[in-house]
Amino acid sequence: MGELRIAVQSLKMSVQARMQYRVDTLVASIAVFVRESANIIVIYLALLKFDAINGWNVNEMLFLFSILFLTYAVVVSLFADLRDFSRMIREGRFDRLLVRPRGLLLQLILNNADVIASVGHGTLGILLFLLSAGRVGIEWNPVTILYYLCAIIGGVLMQGGIFIICSALSFYFVETGSIRSIFYWDMRRFAGYPISIYNKLIQTLLMYVVPFAFVNYFPAQFFLRKPDMAGYNEAYIYIAPLVGVFVYLLAYLFWRVSVRRYYSTGN
Amino acid sequence: METMIAVEGARKYYRVAKRGKGLTAAVGQLFNRKYEIKKAVDDISFSIKRGEIVGFIGPNGAGKSTTIKMLSGILYPDAGRVEADGFIPYKQRKQYVKNIGVVFGQKSQLNWDLPLIESFELMKFIYRIPREQYEKNLRQFCELLDMESFLGQPVRQLSLGQRMRGDIVAALLHSPELVFLDEPTIGLDVVAKEKIREFIRYMNKERNTTIIFTTHDMQDIEKVCNRLIIIDKGKKIYDGSIEEIKDRYTNVKTIEVLLENGGKETETFDVRRTSVNAVLERIFAERRVKDISVCEPEIDEIIRDIYEGRLRLDAPSAEGGAL
Ligand SMILES: Nc1ncnc2c1ncn2[C@@H]1O[C@H](COP(=O)(O)OP(=O)(O)O)[C@@H](O)[C@H]1O
Ligand SMILES: [Mg+2]
Repeated sequence: MGELRIAVQSLKMSVQARMQYRVDTLVASIAVFVRESANIIVIYLALLKFDAINGWNVNEMLFLFSILFLTYAVVVSLFADLRDFSRMIREGRFDRLLVRPRGLLLQLILNNADVIASVGHGTLGILLFLLSAGRVGIEWNPVTILYYLCAIIGGVLMQGGIFIICSALSFYFVETGSIRSIFYWDMRRFAGYPISIYNKLIQTLLMYVVPFAFVNYFPAQFFLRKPDMAGYNEAYIYIAPLVGVFVYLLAYLFWRVSVRRYYSTGN
Repeated sequence: METMIAVEGARKYYRVAKRGKGLTAAVGQLFNRKYEIKKAVDDISFSIKRGEIVGFIGPNGAGKSTTIKMLSGILYPDAGRVEADGFIPYKQRKQYVKNIGVVFGQKSQLNWDLPLIESFELMKFIYRIPREQYEKNLRQFCELLDMESFLGQPVRQLSLGQRMRGDIVAALLHSPELVFLDEPTIGLDVVAKEKIREFIRYMNKERNTTIIFTTHDMQDIEKVCNRLIIIDKGKKIYDGSIEEIKDRYTNVKTIEVLLENGGKETETFDVRRTSVNAVLERIFAERRVKDISVCEPEIDEIIRDIYEGRLRLDAPSAEGGAL
């Protein structure tokens, strides 16, 4: 269980380091929370004018959002170094991981947690969940609870996998910031809404290229069964958590192949 | 004695993208990048025995760090062979690095915001160091490096010398048998330098740790080790003892001239090639001299002259002199 000890010590260090700047951390976390909430409030107010979008009412939309925020809170506490990987390479901080007798991805994942983003997004995620889950008629029983947890884990793995792939690309290209912002951030923005509102192209992207649809849309359908599900294969709901596992494995393999390039180029 | 490190014909060439100026060049680069080859390490060979302590010295950009990176498994050689502790470093990374310690003087591996002890604890788990060993090493290293007074302070508040000592301890807690220190004394004050030199000597003597370190401070080498490898422009230009280098240069003299206008000039030359007479005649012919002295150059000056191409190491050694 050596890994668990590293994880505990690293998390302790990330939190303790932030606690050196208590006020700063608090203010920054609140700022993240407010910034993200402001987006949600704008959307919320706009939605009030409509009864529903493609059959989804406001509370159901908030439930959809809550999954995005909750998974992101976990993603940044694990994958912070991979999100900011090109900077790590540029500053030469990757070398030190290579001289330690542990897996590279393991070290990157356990190393740093983005405490501020995690607290900001996590608080909003929990709040949205509490506001919406009770009003959308979810019946919680062992099966639904288990599915929900699997969906969250799958969502975390999917997003972590995307960060890993973007990181691995920085072994080939100098600047990968724009790739990441298109493949992660822009796709994530689309994923705030039911994918059925988009044209074919965007739907395809969200399902088969950067499969955010399996992070929140299909898992939400498990609970809500909105009529627009008729347009998709029913099985997608059940394989949603597995899509995350699949993307993560793919990312892992791509990383393994790409990291070899580092040994030859240095940076 | 057993061989710890064997390097044969190692090369590392970097490809550096050439940058043109202006928009057309920038657009052109997108499609047709031009690369320049930088020969960082160019056909270097040496071997180091278990328990040895060797100093690498060379000017900035000589290829010292690149050599250390190849030895520690961060980079692989483009050509040639690098073997250490029975491993091919980059191929068997996880196995190999268990038994080595690496410090990059210019890049700390400590957590900036926390006391040293937190980073040390992390090393304990990463290297799976047994508790007794960890505590014994920690106690001993802290005493040797005189660290008790600042163990509890956040690293960002430490002086460069204190931080460097922290980095060295973090890299050695797992009792590695092979240690690489890349510029462990860079930018430090005399006291901190001396502490670190003492510690390096101790690790080598008492624990038989094989130590390779780089520096551009000749004092580090004179005080810490006997064997010295000089590299310049990616090539090894000397490998041997300090005494030998001094011996070889017993025939080298430095003439220091104080001019009447207050200026000062020095000239270093080999008495077997240039006669003292000739040098003096030239000086007197060209300048108005106030005072003159002839001396044996310091080892620092010899090294500098070697770098700058004014002296050649393959010069014939003195009759009956050096080896
Ligand atoms: N990652 C890199 N990419 C391109 N050139 C590099 C890289 N690292 C070092 N160099 C170049 O290789 C040469 C040797 O560098 P280095 O090994 O760091 O020398 P030293 O440590 O002796 O100062 C220098 O000219 C340096 O500019
Ligand atoms: Mg260097």
